Amino acid sequence: MKKKIHWAPYLLIMPAVLFVLLVVAYPVLNSIGMSFQNYNLMIPGVRGFVGFKNYITVLTDSLFYQSLLNTVIWVVFGVGFQFIFGFILALILNTSFHARGAIRATVLVPWVTPGVLIGLMWSWMYDGNYGVINDVLHKLGIINKFIPFLANPSTALPSVIVTIVWQGIPFFAIMLLAGLQAIPNELYEAADVDGCSRIRKLFNITIPSMKNTIFVTTMLRIIWVANSIDVIFSMTGGGPGYSTHTLSVYAFKKAYGTLDFGIASTLSIMLTLLLMIVEFFYLKNFFKDAE
Amino acid sequence: MVKFVRALSAALAAVIVASSFVGCGSKTSSNNAASSNDNTPVTITHWLWVDSADYMQTMNKIADDFHSKYPNITVKMQTYAYSDFSNTLTTALAGGGGPDTASFKLTWTPAYTQNNYLLALDDAVDKWEGKSEILPMLWDKMKEAGGGKIYTMPWTWQVLYVYYRPSYFKAVGIDSVPKTFDEFIEDIKKCTTTINGKKVYGFGLRGASGGQEPWGSFIQAYGGRFADENNKVILNSPETVKGTQVFIDLYKNGYAPKTAVNDGLAELKTMFNNGQIAMFIHHIGSSVDMVKANGDDIDAFPVPKGPGGQWTSMGDTENVVIASTKHQDAAIKWVEYLASADAVKKWDLATGNLPVVSSVAEAAEFKDNKFMKVSMESQSYAGIFPILPTTANWVNNVWAPVMQQALMGKISAEEAVKQLDAQLKGQA
Repeated sequence: MKKKIHWAPYLLIMPAVLFVLLVVAYPVLNSIGMSFQNYNLMIPGVRGFVGFKNYITVLTDSLFYQSLLNTVIWVVFGVGFQFIFGFILALILNTSFHARGAIRATVLVPWVTPGVLIGLMWSWMYDGNYGVINDVLHKLGIINKFIPFLANPSTALPSVIVTIVWQGIPFFAIMLLAGLQAIPNELYEAADVDGCSRIRKLFNITIPSMKNTIFVTTMLRIIWVANSIDVIFSMTGGGPGYSTHTLSVYAFKKAYGTLDFGIASTLSIMLTLLLMIVEFFYLKNFFKDAE
Repeated sequence: MVKFVRALSAALAAVIVASSFVGCGSKTSSNNAASSNDNTPVTITHWLWVDSADYMQTMNKIADDFHSKYPNITVKMQTYAYSDFSNTLTTALAGGGGPDTASFKLTWTPAYTQNNYLLALDDAVDKWEGKSEILPMLWDKMKEAGGGKIYTMPWTWQVLYVYYRPSYFKAVGIDSVPKTFDEFIEDIKKCTTTINGKKVYGFGLRGASGGQEPWGSFIQAYGGRFADENNKVILNSPETVKGTQVFIDLYKNGYAPKTAVNDGLAELKTMFNNGQIAMFIHHIGSSVDMVKANGDDIDAFPVPKGPGGQWTSMGDTENVVIASTKHQDAAIKWVEYLASADAVKKWDLATGNLPVVSSVAEAAEFKDNKFMKVSMESQSYAGIFPILPTTANWVNNVWAPVMQQALMGKISAEEAVKQLDAQLKGQA
C-alpha cells in the first residue's frame, strides 16, 4: 500500500529552511563561486572565471603561511588556556560558598562584553606609555622600562591571546559547570569509600564523565576563535607588520582593505577546509573513544 | 476530526509559507529623479570624515545655510572614519548604493574614474560664478588627477609642517628652528632627553597609516622621488633607501617612542599634549586642538631642506558628485556651495584648514595665523603622491605594514623600499 505523504510538517519548517538557505547556504556558495573568479571591486573590467588561479596565488604567498602559523598559535594557546582556566573556575564555582549565585553571574561579564570594546579596553591597558599593566609591573619592580606590548612583534600576539583567553574563560566555566553538576554524586561517594584522592577523582571520575561537554565546548571554541577578528582587529589591526595576522584577519583585509573579494573568498574557503579537517579528526577520535 | 485537523494544519502551513514571501517584492525606488530646478523637495546624502566630532556643528550650520539658499534641497550627512572611508565608499558604490556626494582625496581619483563612479564637473565648473575665486593651482591639480577632466570640487587643503614645543627647544639650548634637514635630525637627538623630570622623545614618528606623508619628507630630503615627470614610479633608489634608513634609525636608536610602530595621529597628539614628544609632523587641521591643549607652548616650522631636496605632503580634501546620483542638479549645487567663500570661511575658521578661495585666504583671521604663515611658506615645495590607480590601496593598505616590518627590523630598508616600489607600480 502506497504510503501517504504528509505535507504539513514540510510546509511548517519551510520558512526556517529558506532562512537558513538564504543566510548560510547562499553566502557560502557565493564565496566558493567568487574564489574561482578574478573579483576585485577596484578593477571591474577584468572580472571573470580564472579557475584555480586564486588558490595557486594564495598557496604561493608567504603571508598565507605566516597567517596560518599565527592562526595555529592563536587557536592552540587561546582555546587551550581558556579551557584550563575555565575548568579551574568551574571546579571552584561548583563548591559551596557565600554569594555563589552572584559570583556565577559576575563571571559572565567578559563573555557578554562586545569584542570590539574588549579590544579597545585592553589596548589601553597594554599601552606602552600610559597603560595600567605597565604601571603595575613597573611599581612592583618587575620591569624597569614600560613595554610597548602591542608595538613589539614578539609580545603583540601573546598579548592578544591573553585578551581572548580573558574573554573566553566564562564560556568554558559555565558550560563545564553544567557538566560538573550532571555527574552523579554516587560516583564520588563510591570513590571516597575506596579511598581515592582528590586528584584521582578528578582524572578518573570528573574528566571522563564530562568528556562530551569538553568535546563540544572545545570544538565550538576552536571554530569561533579561528574565525574571530574583532579582538585582533581592534587591538592591532593585524600588525605590527604582520605579527598578529591570522587567516581570518587576512581574508577580512583582502576583502575590505584591498576590495579583492576573489582572494578573500579563497582564503575563507581554505580556512573552512582546514577547520573541517581538524574537526574531522576530532570527531573521529571522539566517536572511536565512544565506541 | 483528524482529517479536519490535518486540513487545517496544511492550510495554516500554506499561509505561513506564503507570508514568508510578503515584503520580498522588488524594491521600488523612492528616489525620484526630480530636478531641484522645479522646486520639488529633494534630500541628498553627503558622506564625509571629520578630524574632530566638534566640526560637525560647523558642517550642520553650513548645511542649514545651504538649505536657506535652496529651500527645496536638504542635505543629510553621514560621517565615517577616514581610515575606512575610501573602502567603505567603494564597496557601497560597487554594490549599487552609496551617497549622492562625498568628501574625497585627489589621489583616489584614478581608482574611482576607471570604474565610472564620479560625475565629470567640467561643464558645471565652467558655468559656476565662483570658479575664478579658487586658487588657480588647485584647478591644475584637479585636472591632472582627472586625466584632463575635473571630477573634484576643491574644499580645503593643508600642508604638512613640523609642530614643536618652544619650551623644550629652550631647555636643550636650541636657539632657532632648524633650517636644514641635518639640523632637524640633530635637534631631534638633542630633544631626546629628560626635561623637567620627564622622559622626552625628540620626534613623534608615525608608523601607522598616514605615516607615509612624513616619511615622504625624509626620503625626498635625501634625493628620493616617487615618480618622474611622466608619472613613472622611480621610488626604488639608493636615495630613497638612505632617507628610509634615517627614518628607521630614529626609531631604532630611541629618538622616537617605542610605540611609534603603531602610533597614528591621535597617539602623536596625545603624546605631544602630555609632553612626551618634542616634535611631530602634521598640518594646520590639528592647530585648533593643539593650541587649546598647549596654549602658547606650541609653534611650527616648515619641513627643512635636505641635501637631496625639500618636500612636504600637500593634504587635500575635495568633494565629488557620485555618477549614479538621482539628484544631479542638487548635488552639484551642494558641492559648489561648499567651495563658496561663505562656507569655506566658516569651515576653515572652525578647523584651521587653509582656504581654497583667494578672498578668504586674504582675510585677517587667516593671514595673521602663525600656522597659516608656515603653511604658505611651505607651499612652493608641497606635493602630492603620484596619482595612479594603485595609490589609494598603497596609501591605505601597503605602506604601514611594510614600514612596520622595517621599523621592527624584520626587513631591511632596501627590502622595504623594494616592496613599496613594486606595490606602487602594481607589480606585487
